[in-house]
Amino acid sequence: MSLSRREFFKGGAAIGGGIAIGLTLTGCGGQTAYPGASASDLRPNAFLQVRPDGVVVFQLPRAEMGQGVYTGLTTVVAEELSMPASAIVVEHAYYHPAFRDAEFGMMMTGGSVSLRNNYTILRQSAANLGEWMRQAAATQLNTDAAGLRVENAAVVSPDGSAIGFAALVETAKTLTAPEDAELKNPADFQQIGKESVRLDALAKVTGTATFGIDCNVPGAVTAVMRRCPHLGGRVKRFDDNAAKAIKGVQDIFEINGAVAVVASGYWPARKAADALEIEWDKGALAGLDEAKLLAHHRELLLEDGRNVAEIGDEKSAIGERVEVEYRVPMLSHSPMEPPNALVSISSDKVEVWTGSQVPDTVIGVVAAAIDCPREQVVVHNQMLGGGFGRRLVPDYIVEAAKIAKQVGKPVKLVWSREDDVQHDYYRPAATALLSATVDNGRVTSFGGKTVVPSIMGRLMPIFAEAAMPEWLPPAIPRSLAGLARHFDTSMTEGLGDTNYRFPYIKIDTVRDETPIPVGFWRSVGHSQNAFFTESFMDELAHKVGQDPVAFRLQHIPEESNRYRVLKMVAEKAQWGQAPAGQFQGVAAHDAFHSSVAQVVNASVKGNAIQVHKVVCAVHCGLAVNPDVVRSQMESAIIFGLTAALKSKITLDDGRVVQSNFHDYTMLKLAETPEIEVHIVPSSEPPTGVGEPGLPPLAPALANAVFAATGQRLRELPLKLA
Amino acid sequence: MSVIEFTLNGRQQRLDVESDTPLLWVIREQLSLTGTKFGCGKGLCGACTVHLDGQPIRSCSFPVSLVAGKRIRTIEGVAPSAEQLHPVQQVWLEGSVPQCGYCQSGQIMAAVALLERNNAPSDADIDSAMSNICRCGTYPRIRTAVKRAGELMQGQGVVGLFDPRAGANGGPDSEQKESQA
Ligand code: FES
Ligand code: FES
Repeated sequence: MSLSRREFFKGGAAIGGGIAIGLTLTGCGGQTAYPGASASDLRPNAFLQVRPDGVVVFQLPRAEMGQGVYTGLTTVVAEELSMPASAIVVEHAYYHPAFRDAEFGMMMTGGSVSLRNNYTILRQSAANLGEWMRQAAATQLNTDAAGLRVENAAVVSPDGSAIGFAALVETAKTLTAPEDAELKNPADFQQIGKESVRLDALAKVTGTATFGIDCNVPGAVTAVMRRCPHLGGRVKRFDDNAAKAIKGVQDIFEINGAVAVVASGYWPARKAADALEIEWDKGALAGLDEAKLLAHHRELLLEDGRNVAEIGDEKSAIGERVEVEYRVPMLSHSPMEPPNALVSISSDKVEVWTGSQVPDTVIGVVAAAIDCPREQVVVHNQMLGGGFGRRLVPDYIVEAAKIAKQVGKPVKLVWSREDDVQHDYYRPAATALLSATVDNGRVTSFGGKTVVPSIMGRLMPIFAEAAMPEWLPPAIPRSLAGLARHFDTSMTEGLGDTNYRFPYIKIDTVRDETPIPVGFWRSVGHSQNAFFTESFMDELAHKVGQDPVAFRLQHIPEESNRYRVLKMVAEKAQWGQAPAGQFQGVAAHDAFHSSVAQVVNASVKGNAIQVHKVVCAVHCGLAVNPDVVRSQMESAIIFGLTAALKSKITLDDGRVVQSNFHDYTMLKLAETPEIEVHIVPSSEPPTGVGEPGLPPLAPALANAVFAATGQRLRELPLKLA
Repeated sequence: MSVIEFTLNGRQQRLDVESDTPLLWVIREQLSLTGTKFGCGKGLCGACTVHLDGQPIRSCSFPVSLVAGKRIRTIEGVAPSAEQLHPVQQVWLEGSVPQCGYCQSGQIMAAVALLERNNAPSDADIDSAMSNICRCGTYPRIRTAVKRAGELMQGQGVVGLFDPRAGANGGPDSEQKESQA
């Protein structure tokens, strides 16, 4: 990598202009020592340190689960320090209050905010460190810092001579750490906005990247569990005679309403678990199946529900009324790495090795589960073998902690894929009524009503179990307040808050209280609400005899990013000129502060839908690493295709019917279409990329299927009659 | 328990194991090589792919008793040396293929097995050989990388560390390997 020589501190027109979101970078009141530091390190803030040997260490405050923060956030730091990102040592940060997200109030990886909310903080942290070293060099050289610049972990004088960071650490410690060093002028960026190889790729192509499941400590035993297959049920009694006879089995006991088997390794534990004879109390959902759930949703659709948005005058809603029902099924996250956790408890320390999107919540729930002070819990977060929202819920970690406490040894709990598919916190099933009035070829109103559970409402008790005031993240009380109004934004996000303009818009929602465990699934409410909205928009376009792209453009403000990406995708995908035998569908959606539009080229043979190509245009502000942006669009498109074409979690007698990848199938390489991603150039601050690529896919595909067949499919996964 | 002998990445192993234990758990837990992953336990996802005498197998569903006398290669045994990557790993790295990375050991093992017998695969060859699941959706990059690695291997005459000719049963593709070399 060539770093050109340039004035380091010129021009202060930095994006975001300093620390705007009120985190203290230095000191943190001095109450909590920064984790991961040794006393001899120079530690200007929670994020960065310089070791005595001059190596710069970055405490990665967010979990790497494939979305690229390991590379993206490190690149931001490297840019401000004018050093290669690959020369920075990256460590998964331990919990510290300074690592809490300013918006969510938790040390959480989710909501596609990692880059958006850390961009300025990290630039400032790195700039402060660089400035500190510069001042140390100026002191040592007895010169003015103005002529010095920071480059490649050294401070360089005008004559080209350089002092490495190692030689500056001790001097720097005698100086006050700068807190508001000037940021680099974006015009001088050498790394941000450029392609670079992922920093975690080498470890991941050599098999050396460490995931939670790869961790081990001396003396650890393996545990697996048999949980009640009926959601919400629990064990009544069990017979473990056959199970106990299996070689390697050490202990079998009831815990958490389930049965735990502890053994010398995974295989004996699994064999013994399978050999258990268990009688279950089916719990509150016994008897529930798909037909009953749908009937319940249809009943709820008749209720008024809660109004979320009402724009314009109801009197404008004139003309013929159109009303259609849409629905989506439950979905499991099923990241490739099944949930797992290793817990080791000693007299004064509880250590947890796992992959989690919420390390501070883990500390709270583990402390509550085994009744120890929070200060004793240490979470060694690892690479996550996929997250997608699954690892926002620490249920599997609580289980491991309880089992470890019971057996008095370090325990590694490993879920099977069956456990994962059947005991997830699912993307909820949702049903929606979309309506409009059409007068004289003009759409005069747009209405939507969803029936869906509140995810926060369902998850609150889990978090609240551990909710002691000292750790209680501010987000929780905020959410509690929201719940008091029986309102959860995920119920209508992407439906009620689009920038479509019609004379009258009304959006309502009704909460489904069925106690099915539900959670945050990649793009959350947008995953279904974009399908509803963008499919129905297509219906309306055809109803009024307009081209679906033109119809949308006509109803979106011209100055919006959604307008831009829609224009761009239409042009790049050669909208209206599909290859012979192929048909196009389009959708455009705003989510996580980004805008994404997609055109799908598909064909239909018999009842089989074949997707040939997906063209995607994204506006995500400044693309820190355009290749990561592209890979996240590809990823979300494929995740979305799996959901649109294949996935469905169904219930029978309150139990999940599907169990593994044979009946919860995933898109494979052979079925993957060509994907083309275009990024709208922008110098606005970066916005989300991990999730916003997903919502437009299903409607764009459904719209293409309509173009091909004239069949309007209003249910996922898409199935032709 | 029974004693089973096989070679793992070129090293002779002699283990006392329950003979029905899937190879995956022997590799991960007894031999402490954790690059091979557990994804489904039912032969459905390929995260656990290793080579048995050069052929890709799904080690989660392969009893260790069946590997007696065979040669097993895992992701840890793919690179020719500690300083050098296998061409497949090299292009995987350059193309930033991995996302979460969890499936990638298995993907790479599947790709190496394909390319060591056919370094100019057609799209159809890739479709059928690369059937591992990637929940992160790295498939487009995998397809590109497999083709690119094939080109690299053609140029280098690379057959990788594992040479089927060295084994007792030769390997079905030894002729092709000969002609490449
Ligand atoms: S873990 Fe072996 S195929 Fe999935
Ligand atoms: S890279 Fe995450 S599953 Fe393939």
